[in-house]
Parts: sequence; C-alpha cells; structure tokens
Amino acid sequence: MHYRRLTAVAALVLGSTLAAGAQEGLFAGKTIEVVVPFGEGGATFVSAKFLEPYLEKHLPGNPDLDVVSRPGGGSILGANWFEQNAKADGTTILFTTSSTANPFVLGQKGVEYKLADYRVAYSHPFSAVAYVSPDTGVTSAAGIRDSSKPLIYGGIAAAASDLPGLLSFEVLDVDVKSVLGFNGRGPVRLAFEQGELNIDYQFTPVYLTQVVPSVAEGHAVPLWTGGAMKDGVLKGRDPIAPELPSVYEVYEQLNGKPPSGIEWDAFQGIASVTYAYGLTGYMHPDTPQEVLDAFAEAVAAINADPEFQAESQKVTNGARLNAGPDTETAVKAALSPSAEVKDYLRNLLSSKFGVTF
Amino acid sequence: MIENALTALEALFDPVRLAALFTGMIVGMVFGMLPGLGGVAAVSILLPFIYYLDPYSGLAMLLGAVSVVYTSDTITSVLLGAPGSPASAPTAIEGHALAKQGQASRALGVGFLASMVGGLTGAAILFVAIPVAGPIVLMLSTPELLMFALVGLYYAASMIGKDLAKGLAAACLGVLLGVVGPAQAAADFRYTFGQVYLLDGFSLTIVALGLFGVAEVISMLAAGGGISHERVKVDHWGEGFRDFWKAKWLVLRAAIIGVFGGFVPAVGASASTWVAYGHAIHSTKDKSRFGKGEIRGIAASEGANNATVISDLVPTLLFSVPGGPAAAIFLGALFSFGYYPGPRMITQHPDLMFLIVWSVALTSVVGAGLCFAITPALARLTRIPFAIIAAPLVLIMVIGAYQSTSTMGDIFMLFLLGGLGWLMKHGGWPRAPALVGFVLSGPMEQYFWLTNQIYGWSWLTRPGVLVIGSVIVIPMLISCVRWLKARGRKAGPAPAHDLPTLNAPSHGIALVLAAIVAVMFAYALWETFSFNPASRLMPALAILPGLPLALYLLVRGARDFRNDFSRDANELWVLAALFVYAMAVWAIGLSIPTVVLIAWMLLVKARMRIWTSLIYGVAVFAVIRLLFDLLRGDAPVGALIPFS
Repeated sequence: MHYRRLTAVAALVLGSTLAAGAQEGLFAGKTIEVVVPFGEGGATFVSAKFLEPYLEKHLPGNPDLDVVSRPGGGSILGANWFEQNAKADGTTILFTTSSTANPFVLGQKGVEYKLADYRVAYSHPFSAVAYVSPDTGVTSAAGIRDSSKPLIYGGIAAAASDLPGLLSFEVLDVDVKSVLGFNGRGPVRLAFEQGELNIDYQFTPVYLTQVVPSVAEGHAVPLWTGGAMKDGVLKGRDPIAPELPSVYEVYEQLNGKPPSGIEWDAFQGIASVTYAYGLTGYMHPDTPQEVLDAFAEAVAAINADPEFQAESQKVTNGARLNAGPDTETAVKAALSPSAEVKDYLRNLLSSKFGVTF
Repeated sequence: MIENALTALEALFDPVRLAALFTGMIVGMVFGMLPGLGGVAAVSILLPFIYYLDPYSGLAMLLGAVSVVYTSDTITSVLLGAPGSPASAPTAIEGHALAKQGQASRALGVGFLASMVGGLTGAAILFVAIPVAGPIVLMLSTPELLMFALVGLYYAASMIGKDLAKGLAAACLGVLLGVVGPAQAAADFRYTFGQVYLLDGFSLTIVALGLFGVAEVISMLAAGGGISHERVKVDHWGEGFRDFWKAKWLVLRAAIIGVFGGFVPAVGASASTWVAYGHAIHSTKDKSRFGKGEIRGIAASEGANNATVISDLVPTLLFSVPGGPAAAIFLGALFSFGYYPGPRMITQHPDLMFLIVWSVALTSVVGAGLCFAITPALARLTRIPFAIIAAPLVLIMVIGAYQSTSTMGDIFMLFLLGGLGWLMKHGGWPRAPALVGFVLSGPMEQYFWLTNQIYGWSWLTRPGVLVIGSVIVIPMLISCVRWLKARGRKAGPAPAHDLPTLNAPSHGIALVLAAIVAVMFAYALWETFSFNPASRLMPALAILPGLPLALYLLVRGARDFRNDFSRDANELWVLAALFVYAMAVWAIGLSIPTVVLIAWMLLVKARMRIWTSLIYGVAVFAVIRLLFDLLRGDAPVGALIPFS
C-alpha cells in the first residue's frame, strides 16, 4: 500500500511538472482527499461536504473529492496524520479550524504538525455572533457592562475554539464568569435556552438557523460579531451579519479610542484564524505554486457560481470563499504571532484557566 | 397533524424509499451483529451513498440502519456472549448464560420483542416531540442531568455482586478508566502519559469490547476444536413470548428510561441500558438469577437501548443538538440536504418529521420480524467449533476498535483492556460495575462541575432535582422501614445480591489482578497531585476507596494463594498470542501478522484441515481487508517495515 503510494507520488510529481500542458486539466482522473480532523456529524465535516461538489465542478480536470473524517485528540491526531502522510501534489488537503491552529500557536504537547509551513489552498469565513439573554437587561453591545445580572458564559475548553470569545471579553473588559467543560457548542446553546447561561457565542451558520428565531421571539439579544479583515485589521463589519458591530467598533464605542495593546493583538491574531479564516484547507509545504493557482482560480469561479451563491445565501448569508496570496499571507501571519503575544496567551491561559503547557 | 402523518406515510411507501429504508435496515442489522461495529459504523458506511438519492430516501436509509442495530446485536450477545454493541453488555451477561442452559430462543425472543417495544416507544415520543418531548428536554438542565447520573449510580450498586470488595474495586477501576483524558473542570489531561492517543480518553467501544468481547473470544479459541457447551437450539418461540408478556410493564418502564437517556445530549445508549438493567434487578424480588441468566435483565436492557437511539433524535431535531454519536451523523446528513433542524423544523417540514417517525416505527417492527426469521439459521453456526467462529470475530473486533481513531493505539488498547477483562473474568471480579463506572464517571463529573459553577449549592432545591432524587430516596426509606420491621420479628433470608461468575475464580489470577490494580491506583494517586484542584475530585472518588480495596484484596489474595495458574494456561497462551499479534501489526503492518494469526487460529486452535482452512482463511482475510477499505480507514502500516 505504502509502496504504491510512494510510486504514485513520484509519478504525480514528475507528471505534473513534465506534462502539465498535455493534460485535459491538472487534476484529471485524480482523487483529492480532504481530511477533516473531527467527527462525521460535526460542523467542519458538514462544511467540507458542502464545498465538495463546487470544488469538483470548478477545479481543472474535475477531480473526485473524498472527504474523510479522522477525529481524535481534539483534532491533533488528524493533523498529525496529515503531517506524516500528506502528498505534495495537492491531492491531500487538511480542512480544519482554529481548534487545530490554537494548540499549534500555543505550542501544546503532542502537536507534530507545522501548520505555519503549510500552503493555504482556500478558506471559508466562519464568523461568530455574541448574544445575551434579555434577562440581563442588556439591549445592545454598548450596554454590555451594565448587565443587571452576573454574566455567565459556557464553553468547551479555554485553549480550543473558545479562546477568541474569551479574549474578546478581555479586550472589552467585560466581567464574565466562564464555565468551561461543556461537550460542544450545541449543549451550550441548550443551556442558554434553559436559562443556565446568559451570554453565548455561536458560529454563523448556527446563529442564522438556531438563534435568529430566538431573537425574533425576544429570547435573545444579538450583540456583536468577531469582525472581518479590513486593511489588515480585524475592524470591518462581518458581511454575514452586517447589522452588528465588530468587537473593534464596540471597543471604540465604550472607550472612545481604537483598541491597541497586547490584549488586542492577541485577540486579533486568534480571532482572525478562528473567524475570518475559520475553515481553511491546508496543503503540504512543497505543493507547487501551479496547484495553488488552480485552487485560487477555482475559488473565484465558485464565488461567481450562481448555484453556490444561492446555497450559501441560505447557510451563511452569502459568505464567499477566500484564496490566493493575500489570504495565505494573512493566515500565515496569524499562525506566527510575536513572542510577546504568545507569552501573553500562555500566561493568561495558565493563570486564569489553569492550562498547563 | 394527522393529515401530515398520512402524507408522510404515503411518501415513504414510494418503492425507491422503501427500498432505501430496508437496505439501510439490512446494513444496520449486519453491523449490529458485528461486535464493536454499530450504528456509527453503519451510518458512516451508508453516508456516501445517500447523496445519490433524494433527501427522503437518503434519510430513510440512515434511519433504517440506526433503528435496528440494537435489535440485531442481541443475536451476537446471546449466542456468543460477546456484546454486539457496547449497549448490549447486560444482554450478553444474561442472554449468554441462558443460551448455555439451552434457552437461547427464550432469551432471543424476549430480546427482539423488547427491542421492538423500545423502538416503537421511541417513535411515539418523536410523534409527540413538539408538545411533550421538547418541553421535557428544556426542563432537563444540568442539575437534573446530574441527578440522573446519580440514579444510575444507585442502580449500579445492585450489580456489585456477592463479593463486595471485588465488586466495589471493579466499580472504582471503571471510574478511574473513565477519568483518563481531558478533565471537565480544568484544563488538565489526566493519566495520558504524554500520549496524544489518550488526550480524548478511552473510547466506550474499545472498553466494552476489551472487557467483555476479547475475554470471550479467548475462551472460544482456547476451547479449540470442541464445542464447549450444549447445542444452541432455536426453535419454539412460545416461551419467549410468554416471558415477554410477563415482563411487559418492565419493558415499558425500561423504554421510558431509555427515552430519557436519549433526551440527554451526548449520553449514549450504554448509560440508559445499564440504568434500566439496574432497575430490573431492583424491581425483581428473587435476585438470585441475575448474572446466571435472568430473562428480566434482557427485557429491560433491550427495551432501553432501542428507545435511546430513537429518542436521541428528539434533541437532534428540535434543538439541533445530537443526542448520541449516530444522531450526530444523521444531523450532518440533514444539513447536507438543506434541512436545518431547530424549533421551526416541525412547522416548516412537518412531512419530514413524520417521515422520520414512520421510518423508525416501520423498521423497528420489520427488523424484529427479520431477526426472528434469520436467527434459527444463525444459531446453527454455534454448532461449528468455536475456534472457527472466533477467528473472524477477533479481526472484526480489531476493525471495530480501529474505528475510533484509526491509529495503532486503538488496537493496543483493545488487547490491553482485553487482558484486563480476561484477568477480571478469571479473578472473579464482576465486569459490569467496571463498565458502569466507566460510562457514568464522565457525565457525573461534567454535570457536577457545571452545576456547581452555575448554581453553587442552590440546585439542590430545584423541583426537578427533588423529583428525580425521590427515585433514590423513597426506595431507600422503604427498605429501611422493612429492615426495621423485619428486625423486630425473626429475620428472613436476606435478599441475595449475587452476580457470581460461573466458574470459581482462580486464586493466582485474583492475586495478580489485585497487584496490578493496586499499582494502578497508587500511581494514579501520585499523579493526582499535579492536577488543578477541580480536576482531582473524580479521580479521588475512584482512588480513595479503590486503593484500600485493592490492597485488601492483595492481602486476602496472598493469604488464599494457591498456584492454580495451570488451569488457565491454555487461555493465557491465546492472550499472549494476541499481544504478539498487536505488536507485529505495529511493526510490520496489518497483512502479514493477520495471515499468520488466521493460520494459527484455524490450523492450531481449530485443527481444521489444510485445504478447508486455506479456503476459509482466504475468505476471512478478504472480508477483513474489504471492511477496512469500506470503512475508509487505511489499514495500519508497519512502523519498522512500511507495509500495510
């Protein structure tokens, strides 16, 4: 099996350099394996399946995509598998979220994958919306510090996908009690509906289908979004929920000046990997530029595909894919924060949340 | 509403959809019978195919698979004694004991009928999801869930058995296994020994297979070419029907327990099955037959596990929060078809909702019928020498275990825990409390921690908590009163709570096991000091009673020691061979060790003739490789020789 793979890789590498022009398309007759390091029912897996037909349609040569789930170790096992087994011709993709990126950035034990060395093929924003219970008396983002009740936030683990949410509370200097140890964001939302928790973050697709109905019924008050990248700063409004301010704007409103300092740098770094480039398809470090260009072109074609636009309107309020050099630069920058930011994060996590490194 | 229900029924009776439903059902039945492979594997194998179908057919196919897994797993559990799925471990205990007494058809009949009732109860609950089930799910906040876990623990106490020290030590050991991995309360990873593999803790499938399945297979292999017990005859179902009718209220109560288990997100069928089994022990006057083949134990656990998988769909459909692992995949499929379950699901897509209800109801009935039909043929398989069946069984368990993370760790862990289960079986430690401790320790810790964080201690006065708490307190008070009354008169014979293993325990193995467990607890205690205080509670709950108990058993074992290892030497060799197999797979990949293992099992253990074993062995190997490919796991590649 392994021998077969090695020869296949050799053939592909040779083939792609020698005979690129002769083929019908770069990926003609090939299968691209999309590795999702989470379980089969999870949001990442579903998103990978959602994108599958469009990539098949628009990549040159119409390859077959095979979405494979490799859960375990909070996504570390699947990413480690990718580190050891990925092919360098673009036919193995690691499709994952900040749950894989954060342990890498923080330098946690057991991480073997070198995420910052990987090439970035494409990325899908996966923004999150913060909302509170009306019982708190809070009616908008500006009133968040005047809650009539202590704010209780529910999460899974500080060092995983909860990190940007927790950091946003630090940036905005909101006093929130964080109860960590839930099984997933679904049970957290259920606890919010039951009145156990009164402030929550949900990723956009869930927000649109599950929380918006509660907002309409008056059971939830939306506050802000993580924001979108604008001129290299996470200050823009999120196109997915343009009526809500970004964390950046909320800070300005509360303090009368733009945010700065280590808290903001840490939030921006972690939040951009989590939200702006929430779901990212990574490739082997030695993948040829030609393959990445092909993906960038396919992404442009997908964004222009009316069928994709109609479907994404339903699920993500019309979010578009990102690809190309700018995206790659931004993702890599976010994955390699300054030593200062790293120290701040590690200190915060170990002093406030008892994380050991 | 009725109108929608009829439209949905009509929609389901489209030939393509019915075909899809029954295809799913057959896949589900096969996977239910294969130990270690269950709903999750069945649904993931079907997942790629559903996208070629229309949404209704695709979803019907998945539902067909989900709803029968816990019906057909009864067959394996009863006939072979290896649980077809983790949630049928109680059935394996009671049903296999009955099968050995020549009463397999009784056990199977009750099992199938109870499964059917469980499935139909689940379907009825889905039918009234909006008015009834939805509000109940919302009422079950963390404190109530904590109380459920405590009720489970209370019932589990009835499984301790006659040897109190061994039973309690086994339960503590189970809790200790359950706390491996991420702590709920603080960011500690407990007892992971720096292994990424252990970061998620042990998989339930592997623990259940290891503790129950592997030990059973070892006995089968050691029995060699002979048939170790009298022929299993499955012919007349009459007695089973009568037994079922006698236990009908118990089945219904168990199904309701199962339904509640389904309402709780991410608590699978295992927990509710054990609770229902505990309830059966509690509500049965003559407890002496539990562990030796008590039909009521089967009735309760089969009623519960099927109800759970189906009511898992209630939180899935109403709140988009999967109730269990198979429901999570189903949720993913719903998303892919453009359905977004949530409070609006029922008003937006009433037909889909009823289609789901009809699908699970129909498969529950047809599935049970089909199980009745195929069992006589399957029972004939048990006339084949056990070692011949054991050969593919070992490898299927390896595949089942390998589904958790598709790394070598799964295979090592299967055989390590298999070794532990084997020691427990022969050392006279009951394995049921260990599995219950394992299943409940996660939810108990999680809900205790969340409850305490959110409510402090005020949760104790919540009405729901009081109602659920009364399930524990009232029977306790009643038995207290009875005990006081009985003390006045001449005391009658005390109710016998014994769950003995059938063979007398080996003294040597009991001593070895006590020593191993004592070392484990001692090490665990030492490592506990490095945790955040909040992460220490649950390990302490296991270690503080566990360590003294293990030491006591060690002393007692040393006192009673007799060198009787030779009695089980035969099985010990098989265990050693399996360890060697795991090491060899790690070193040189799957194929070569598997071929050697098959050859060894068939030629040496089963003493088959060369030619027949060659044909059979090739067939087994081909099926195993095919299953690896179908389940989309790459077969393990050797670390020393990169060959798979």
